[in-house]
Amino acid sequence: MRHKGHRVGVVLVAVALAVSACGGGQRSGEGAPLAQGGEFSVFICEPRGLTPGNANQSCSSEVLTALFSQLVEYDTANTENPVLMGEDAPRGHAASITSRDQQTWTITLKDGWTFHDGTPVTAQSYVDAWNYGAYAQNNASFFANIEGFVGLQCGRGAAGELDCDASPPISERMSGLRAADERTIEVRLSAPFSQFPLTLGYAAFYPLPEAFYADPEAFNTAPIGDGPFKMDGTWIHNQSVRVTRYTGYAGKPANAAAVNFQIYASIETAFTDLRAGNLDIIDRTPRAQIPTAAERLDGRFAEFPGSGWTYLGFPTYDPRFADPNLRKAFSMAIDREALTRTVKPDSVPADSFVSPVVSGYREGACGEWCEFNPDRARQLFEQAGGWQGELVLWFNSDGDHATWMEAIGNQLRQHLGIQDIRFEPLLFAELLDRERDKGINGPFRSAWAMDYPSPQNYLQPVFGTGGSSNYTYYSNPAFDAALQQGNAAGTISDGLDFYHQAEDLLIQDMPAIPLFFDVWATSWSERVDNVFVDPFEHVNKADIVVK
Amino acid sequence: MRRYAGRRLLQLVPVFFGATFLIYAMMFALPGDPIRALFGERPIPESAVSILRERYHLDDPLPVQYGKYISGVLRGDLGEDFRGREVAQIVAERFPVTLRLTGIAFVFELVLGLLAGLVAALRRGSFLDSLVLVSTTAVISIPVFVLGYTAQLVVGVELGWLPVAGIRDGWPSYVLPGMVLGATSLAYVARLVRASLAENLRADYIRTATAKGLSRRRVVGRHALRNSLIPVVTFLGTDLGTLMGGAIITEGVFNVPGIGRAIFDAVGQQENPVVVGIVTLLVIAFMVSSLIVDLCYALLDPRIRYD
Amino acid sequence: MTEANLARDAWLELRRNPKFLVSGVLILLIVVIAIAPQRFTSILPYDCSLSEHFLGRPSPGHPFGFDTLGCDYYTRVLYGARTSVSIGLLTVIGATLIAAVGGSISGYYGGVIDTVVTRVTDVWFAIPTILGGIVLLSALRRRGIGEVALVLTALGWPAMLRLMRSAVLSAAQADYVNAARALGAGDLRIMRRHILPNAIAPVVVYATIFVGIAISAEAALTFLGIGLQPPAISWGLQLEAAEDRLLTAPHLLLFPGLFLSATIFSFILMGDALRDAFDPKLR
Repeated sequence: MRHKGHRVGVVLVAVALAVSACGGGQRSGEGAPLAQGGEFSVFICEPRGLTPGNANQSCSSEVLTALFSQLVEYDTANTENPVLMGEDAPRGHAASITSRDQQTWTITLKDGWTFHDGTPVTAQSYVDAWNYGAYAQNNASFFANIEGFVGLQCGRGAAGELDCDASPPISERMSGLRAADERTIEVRLSAPFSQFPLTLGYAAFYPLPEAFYADPEAFNTAPIGDGPFKMDGTWIHNQSVRVTRYTGYAGKPANAAAVNFQIYASIETAFTDLRAGNLDIIDRTPRAQIPTAAERLDGRFAEFPGSGWTYLGFPTYDPRFADPNLRKAFSMAIDREALTRTVKPDSVPADSFVSPVVSGYREGACGEWCEFNPDRARQLFEQAGGWQGELVLWFNSDGDHATWMEAIGNQLRQHLGIQDIRFEPLLFAELLDRERDKGINGPFRSAWAMDYPSPQNYLQPVFGTGGSSNYTYYSNPAFDAALQQGNAAGTISDGLDFYHQAEDLLIQDMPAIPLFFDVWATSWSERVDNVFVDPFEHVNKADIVVK
Repeated sequence: MRRYAGRRLLQLVPVFFGATFLIYAMMFALPGDPIRALFGERPIPESAVSILRERYHLDDPLPVQYGKYISGVLRGDLGEDFRGREVAQIVAERFPVTLRLTGIAFVFELVLGLLAGLVAALRRGSFLDSLVLVSTTAVISIPVFVLGYTAQLVVGVELGWLPVAGIRDGWPSYVLPGMVLGATSLAYVARLVRASLAENLRADYIRTATAKGLSRRRVVGRHALRNSLIPVVTFLGTDLGTLMGGAIITEGVFNVPGIGRAIFDAVGQQENPVVVGIVTLLVIAFMVSSLIVDLCYALLDPRIRYD
Repeated sequence: MTEANLARDAWLELRRNPKFLVSGVLILLIVVIAIAPQRFTSILPYDCSLSEHFLGRPSPGHPFGFDTLGCDYYTRVLYGARTSVSIGLLTVIGATLIAAVGGSISGYYGGVIDTVVTRVTDVWFAIPTILGGIVLLSALRRRGIGEVALVLTALGWPAMLRLMRSAVLSAAQADYVNAARALGAGDLRIMRRHILPNAIAPVVVYATIFVGIAISAEAALTFLGIGLQPPAISWGLQLEAAEDRLLTAPHLLLFPGLFLSATIFSFILMGDALRDAFDPKLR
């Protein structure tokens, strides 16, 4: 027995030595021996900023989702309850979110979570961050539901009344938001909103450490978050951002030891780099490469559904487009399948106004109106009186839309007989201005990506009266009413029926033509495994395995 | 000589103001509201917009805006972009990259261009001469981006000789883009050297030197070449400016984070301070280099000095 | 009598120069294609079928295959000649006019006028071409052939004017000019009969080459996305579409690339030939 034990002892010592040799080195900084788990690189474009309140762009949020934890996690396949918290969400900070009337909400936080600098994440961290975000930052609109939000946007007029053009704003704190204790946040909304828990996964709702307020500029180059990864060094503009595993993380730890976000100005160059072995993951494979990517990369390619949705809007304020039959004719003259097979392979044809990643999506909701049928299209077109004169198609020149818009122009020419077609490609800033001024005189390309996985988010901001992104200026009281009812419903899934009613109204009126749903055409190298891109276009960095 | 230099320097001043005002005015004419574009599709809090517009003087009339800007520049402040980053900072990060790229292109075009032009001129009318002529014309005719992508795919990916993109590998990553950038200028230099040298080789003083018994190498190297270099020097001086501006395409193709790419992105985002800041610096660089060229010109050709 | 001799001598020289013959034929061919592409193809450029012919390879009846929109590529490339040649010619005509007028006046009269003109030229010259092109073109909402040509003219005239001015300067020193002035000839007459014909030679040479440069610049700017816009048919746009498909559909790059390079090549070669003919020292 002793003999055997001795041998076992030797083996154990050997194993222990081997393990410690592999896992040694906890120093941060470049060139230090890595902790177990390996390192991989991810494509990003140059972020606009790395402060949560300002990060409404995918380049920024790709980095921030590594550095911060959300309150909730999502399971969009679950129609009953797509929001995960507590034990169901190993990386979500909320233990529970409850409400009795859909207007006052209580968020309870899990214990023991810290920022990367060691300070605890408390309810106050959230409250202060949200007040900061609501006060003149890019993502302020996310807090619009919260009572007292108006006070942060509007000042006092000469007579003491609320004047939204006056500065400075009345208050810097929202009256409906407070930290009841270390681990409890109380939120009072200005109106009942059943979808509220769904909204909390967005970057706008991240907590911020005290260190942020001391020096926001430094924070922007090296954010201190509470996520599975922490910054290693600072953001090197136009080159890279590097993060390493945060050993003090209270949630489920990351698999990899480090992630290097490589910044590229062009996706073509990035893809070439991936093929040359210098980049591990890109979630925007160039369109031209998509058809051959799977073969060229030995299957290391996948198309993950995205939440983005592209549509062709009509300026409903222009009387020439007033007839829904004309709009439906346009819709049926467009061969979406041919477009996604050829010039826009980073999408699939859209058959509804709501994206498939959202619970509440109904397959084929749009029905025949979104299917290519040139004969029927011609019929409806003539019925509506056809089209005289020049047709102008609008889109933003600084996206990659020229080719497929031109293809749509050709299809309208071919199937509806409209000969005089012109394009108006404008810079995004200018197109937005024209849309806001009702200065568009033809169909315009536009898109929407969800802030949270609810059909309400696809319908209300884009087609609701006064919606923040309603550029068709569609206004239908029945539609608005249905949305209200959905918002006031008892549970998330109860609201869905009303949202379906609203969508049906849209389908009948067709103020915009659903064109495509985004897919994230993702390619990866041989060094990584378990790659997944969620509908928000976030790579699952914490779960990726380096081989 | 000093008076000449002084005079040339003084001439630079109105050109500087003129060029920078022109660029500023052109940017001012761009349509659209860049502040609103920053917020993307989200609704904009009015307080934020007015704060930002105030900060960047966007509501002042053009001459006032330009005045405030240029007085800042003369104090060393190039302004900030709409995200609050100092333009000077952006330039400091990007300029060295472009400088390295341009440097490699320059060396490449100088060495190879001189060689090719020399060979062609010395063997005038031969096959080599025709080869140089045709190939340089062909290189000038092929657009830079075609050259760039082809080089990237063939040399970088398929053959794997040189780094494909970015500047992570240090100096080797600048080689391929540098060569592509310098290719067109190389062709011009070769043609210029060829024409200039050929012309000088027929001059009287060369005939005299040869008749006096000087070796061919001495005749060419010492006399003909030196005089032939004058138009080449002129070209190289102006080429520096062209290279830095033309690096936009090359930097895009090879993902080199230099100022060319910075300008292009800034124009798209209508980041006026960034565009004007970088172009101002380029204009200065261009003027300084043409000043140096003129001075070298004066040194090389004594006839010019007594202008 | 001086001008007739130079031109006649040049012509005799050119006729025997292979560079002139080759480039002349090429240019003639391209110009004919540009003027009347319908003579070379019966298909219309917008007659496209995306679902059937996306990126089709060359086949009988469609020698260049199809492009990303399912259009017959042979037709599109031919129609592209019209765009490129128009822009090249318009730009050069505009720049030459400005250069001729400005350069003559500046070089002939000298003095304050000359200083002013030179300063203005320096200011414009200081702005790099591609940069200036990007900034100017971004300011234009619609970028058709006229607009792009205008911008290229605005960026190209300084070089031409400088050339013209120095040519006029040296021509104005000649003895026969002094003689003419002594005989009482007016300024305009002197400029027209004596100076211009002698000064025009280097400008003509550069103008020819400049057509090629202008065509190349348009392609570069369109490639960067800041030049012509769809549904314009331009080699620059075709090359832009071809770039990501170099390995999968090389015919997209090959044909417009070839035509573009050949066109630029022919103009530069022509310029070379003209320079050989006009410059007596190189004979």
